Amino acid sequence: MSKRTTISERALTRRELIAGGMTLGAASLLAACVGTTTGGGGGGAATTGAVTLQNSVQDAEPKAALEALVKAYQGDEVTLNSVATEQFRAQLTNYLRSGDAPEVLSWYAGSVARSYADEGLLLDVSPLWQGDGVCAGYSDALRGLSTDAAGKQIFVPTSYYWWSVFYKKSAFEKWGVEAPTSWDEFHALCENLSGQGIAPLTNGLSSTPWMASGWFDYLNLRVNGAQYHRELLAGEHAFNDPEVVAVMEEYKRLIPYFDKNAASYTAQDAATPVAQDKSAMYLVGAFVTSYFPEDQRDDLDFFSVPVINDSVPIAEEAPTDGYFAAANSDNHQGALDLLSYLASTQSQQQYIEQSGSANLPTSPDVDTSGLSPLVQKGIELLNNTEEITQFFNRDSSDALQATADTALTKFLAVPDSMKSILDEWQTAAEGVFAS
Amino acid sequence: MSALATPVAVGTGTGARRRPRPARSPWLHVTMIPVTLLWLSPIVFVLFVAVRSYDDIAGRGLGAFPASFSTEGFATALTEGGVLLALGNSVVVTAFAVFASLALSSVAAYALSRFAIPGRRTILLTMLAGNLLPPQILLVPVASITEAIGIADTRTALVVVQVGFGIGFYTFVLHGFMRSLPTEVFEAARLDGAGPGGIFWRIVLPLSRPSLAALAALATTWIFNDLIWAMTVLRTESKFPITAALLNLQGGYASAWNVVAAGSLIAAVPTAIVFFMFQKQFVSGLLVGANK
Repeated sequence: MSKRTTISERALTRRELIAGGMTLGAASLLAACVGTTTGGGGGGAATTGAVTLQNSVQDAEPKAALEALVKAYQGDEVTLNSVATEQFRAQLTNYLRSGDAPEVLSWYAGSVARSYADEGLLLDVSPLWQGDGVCAGYSDALRGLSTDAAGKQIFVPTSYYWWSVFYKKSAFEKWGVEAPTSWDEFHALCENLSGQGIAPLTNGLSSTPWMASGWFDYLNLRVNGAQYHRELLAGEHAFNDPEVVAVMEEYKRLIPYFDKNAASYTAQDAATPVAQDKSAMYLVGAFVTSYFPEDQRDDLDFFSVPVINDSVPIAEEAPTDGYFAAANSDNHQGALDLLSYLASTQSQQQYIEQSGSANLPTSPDVDTSGLSPLVQKGIELLNNTEEITQFFNRDSSDALQATADTALTKFLAVPDSMKSILDEWQTAAEGVFAS
Repeated sequence: MSALATPVAVGTGTGARRRPRPARSPWLHVTMIPVTLLWLSPIVFVLFVAVRSYDDIAGRGLGAFPASFSTEGFATALTEGGVLLALGNSVVVTAFAVFASLALSSVAAYALSRFAIPGRRTILLTMLAGNLLPPQILLVPVASITEAIGIADTRTALVVVQVGFGIGFYTFVLHGFMRSLPTEVFEAARLDGAGPGGIFWRIVLPLSRPSLAALAALATTWIFNDLIWAMTVLRTESKFPITAALLNLQGGYASAWNVVAAGSLIAAVPTAIVFFMFQKQFVSGLLVGANK
């Protein structure tokens, strides 16, 4: 009997112990919740002094350059969060809709920014574009890209880059060829290189199928012009129109010139055959410089895709990067101050020098004389062009880009069923515009 | 416990019992060695990439044999990449989440398997039903719920979410296991005067150790390797777990593959350690529920 009571007493203490442990565990968990919340809330309450910059700039050197810029900022304390671009893309709506949204976010100008502005998620940054605001002196093209449907500025562009056909000077010399100046010369060059056993063009379409849109964009710009291109991407023309068929006919002529492995390369892998002189030319953005080994970067040169139809104004693709501010953040003034700082001539100068990649400044006052010859040539290219577009997805939407990826991947595999592919593309695009 | 051990014993026992063969057949090794090498080849490939310099990779391609040796990748991943900090976050989140979900689900499984709780079948199925939904459709609700209760962008939120999503499955498995414990043991304990708490602590938990260990091993790898919840709940870079940090190592346009490969190798170390520690339970963990 006495034995029994001791056991049950022991059991009781055990039970208490468990119960106690559980409560303790739960309590500490709750306490942790509360603790961190008040921490975050405290930060929120003291917002006058804090700004969050949500950053999607990923590549090592530009990211380091941005970190250095933020570190040197004299104003509010900035928390810089870098998020991988694809994750950032997926989370962007969540960030902007959150009750305590990050003050400033890096993203793209043009229709992408505009669509968020239409939902009322972006802060009006027009003050920066007026009077002696930091963006007041920017070009009209940039102002257009940064303006929403209501005529307010909602974006602050800080850098852009250009697309062109890149090649290695030493390789062209070795093969005894020169950069073409007309579309016929370009085809002759491709024939010549093919004859020498070199793949004239490279591309990387495996995990980066959007690279196929580079040639589509340029051929459309050269055949139908920038105006038509913009209208097409806005849904005002059909992808199975005769104009687009003409573009695809030109694209079809190029297919034999592409590296046979283009479908299995990524955009980055596709630069390797150029580095090894097995492939000659690559239509790609200026970020291509960082794909090459350091000692080959000075050897790179580029030429613009030659004119095909000389009745349309010459146009180039120049995707524009920069920042917008969330309407839902609680430190609007801090956001504007940080944007002014990031867009200032001095910051742009520092960013471009340190980022090492081929980015161009958006501020006309940046002293470009110290930049590499390649970048100087890029600036000249964009200064002399009549029209500027960005890139397929930035001129339309990520959803429309997906339809282009599907259609162009199929087209490159089976160019002969072009007509039916274009019909399918149009159906898919109508679905995107309807939603 | 014996139920769990039997299939293994059967597998190894029967062949050697009678008529001992003169020599072991070489075919096992002849086929398994190439298969093992094939299995290891991706890891060897990553190792090769990790010890090359960026210029070597850019100039000769990702698939080429190393022509250079540098530890630059590891150094960059550990310093600029913030892999160490992220690894710390992952370990903390995983430890808390695994402990909390197993503690809660073992209590729940005990109650559901040993007491006549009304509607316990429904409770169990409801808990399990959560696992049938793909996480993608729950991303937005989870993001707004964490925000509404004020724990958005905290590691606590990540632990809570992981516990919430794991607990259904763990309870289901433990429930099956605890139900199979012989009733006599419980009767004996009750005769000795043990209450429900005492039985749980002194009988059920020790007897469930194998299945708890198996679940702990599985849960650790699942939670450690999670990316989708971390990205949904967290926003501040210094709180990111290792999976998100590894993605950050990749460039938007250009990736320093040696750094990415080095970071991946470092990130694989904790899971590898857990795997080797719980190797036995891990294999039996795959059989959990197979013979409940």
